[in-house]
Amino acid sequence: MSNKTKKNIENGALYVFVITFVSSILLPFIWLILGSFKNMKELFNVPVQILPSTWNLDNYVAVFQSQPFGKYIINSFVISLMSTLIVIVIASMTSYSIARVEIKGKKIMLAALLSISLLPPVTLLNPIYQLLSKLHLLNSYLGLSMALVATELPMAVWFLTSFFQTIPMEVEESAMIDGASVTTTFTKILIPLITPGIFTVSILTFINAWNNYLFAQVFNPLEKARTVTVALTLFQQEYYVPWHIVSAAAIIVTAPLIIVVLVLQKRIISGMMDGGVKG
Amino acid sequence: MNSKGRRRTGYLFLIPSIFIIVVFIAYPVLNTAYTSFLSLRIQTIRLGGKFVGLKNYIDLFQDPLFIQALKFTCLFTVVAVVLETVLGMVCALIMNRKFKGQSFVRAAILIPWAIPTIVSGLMWQFMFAESYGIINQLLQSWGVISEPIKWVTGAKYAFWSVIISDVWKTSPYMSLLLLSGLQTISKELYEAAAIDGAGAIKRFWYITIPMLKPVLMVSLLFRTIQSFRIYDLVSVLTSGGPANSTQSLTLFTVKNYFQFGNLGYGAAAAMVTFVISMVIAMFFADGIKSKMEVPKKK
Repeated sequence: MSNKTKKNIENGALYVFVITFVSSILLPFIWLILGSFKNMKELFNVPVQILPSTWNLDNYVAVFQSQPFGKYIINSFVISLMSTLIVIVIASMTSYSIARVEIKGKKIMLAALLSISLLPPVTLLNPIYQLLSKLHLLNSYLGLSMALVATELPMAVWFLTSFFQTIPMEVEESAMIDGASVTTTFTKILIPLITPGIFTVSILTFINAWNNYLFAQVFNPLEKARTVTVALTLFQQEYYVPWHIVSAAAIIVTAPLIIVVLVLQKRIISGMMDGGVKG
Repeated sequence: MNSKGRRRTGYLFLIPSIFIIVVFIAYPVLNTAYTSFLSLRIQTIRLGGKFVGLKNYIDLFQDPLFIQALKFTCLFTVVAVVLETVLGMVCALIMNRKFKGQSFVRAAILIPWAIPTIVSGLMWQFMFAESYGIINQLLQSWGVISEPIKWVTGAKYAFWSVIISDVWKTSPYMSLLLLSGLQTISKELYEAAAIDGAGAIKRFWYITIPMLKPVLMVSLLFRTIQSFRIYDLVSVLTSGGPANSTQSLTLFTVKNYFQFGNLGYGAAAAMVTFVISMVIAMFFADGIKSKMEVPKKK
């Protein structure tokens, strides 16, 4: 076999593999999108009907009619935004100390953060529930947000610490010589310099908070502060699942994330690698 | 530069995270540990618990439901992580080559990662449906099976439906992490080895694996820990059924807490989950050392 034919076969195999890989990732999701436009009868057709007979938004309208879904979207949005903001404020302060100040206890701090990320959330579940109940923070935005902040903190600190490391010490020194206080240097000079890092951490934290189910289900069971992931499981009835409405609701919950992720994919990929696993 | 004032600010800046860690992590863990030695029910929580020593733990290990949950969770973790790592590795190796549409593939990979597990669970439940689900219909029309498979509701296949859904959601993410590791390995190493006559398998075994080890270990650690927590997927896909065969440790604990109100018993189950997670972490201790160091400048 000549080298050229060998190369062609290799390339062919590569493409076959890539196509199989990508379609097994995308087809289930495309199937969900198609399902969200079909009516009940089309969904249960045997043999399978691939495309909906008509394209309309009836199912999407039905989502908002069968549950106060608009309210749940707002709840999820506020809770995710709140946790993200708190995480960013707290994590950037902590990362600053760890990365740039000669203080004792850095190791203990890092060890604590590491153990948080290894901890199964179920170990925290009931005590936080009882605590929030005593503080009248069950079914509230703040209570759930604080619990999410605790679990999201390690990733944010690791990530921002490495960003703080990249800023030369001279930047701080010259600001101090000009008479700026430590806090001013931090907020006015250092924070703007790590904006790209803050941006990436915000997206990752927001997505994790938005997707959370265990805490949201346990701490916010009532309609008042219910989140979208919990609401998604409530369409199901004992003997019947309105799949056309569930599919539309699932798309509503997922579409914003997917758009954000596709637009910002480069940053997210680098963020996942730095904050999640890289040493 | 390291003036007193700056150092003081450094300590002050740690206060918010220390507060969060103490209130939302340390106290809950200690409280769960303490509660696991009590007989405490949610209905009579005001009366307080009675100290019963190790009774909850002894009861747990005699409870067939707990043993089943423990077995399911361990088996799920091992099978899912192995499949995801192998698949992730294959995909990472492929993506590490140059081909048209590379950025499209990378974008596609992010979709399963970004969607909530609740959504992917519902999506697969719909596709696994016995009579109208697309999977059974396809398999039947291809002649692979003659009778529809009871994916989610059948004792034999429920485990695999959980595995398939999980592998779909997490192996693309795994491949991305491994790809980041592959890209740090210099091409020259491979070229030199090729000149010395090392074949593709040898090069993979003696260059890729050792060079990839740090990334691989950390990815494996976090994937194993996360798989061991499995809750969202089983609670929406199978509800732990049929006959509790896919009930995970977390699902078991949540049921004991909030359905049966058995707080002491639930806490003991939570502590077992906690201890096993820590053992897993120690197993990968080499991989996590880097997380204990102040990150280096890039």
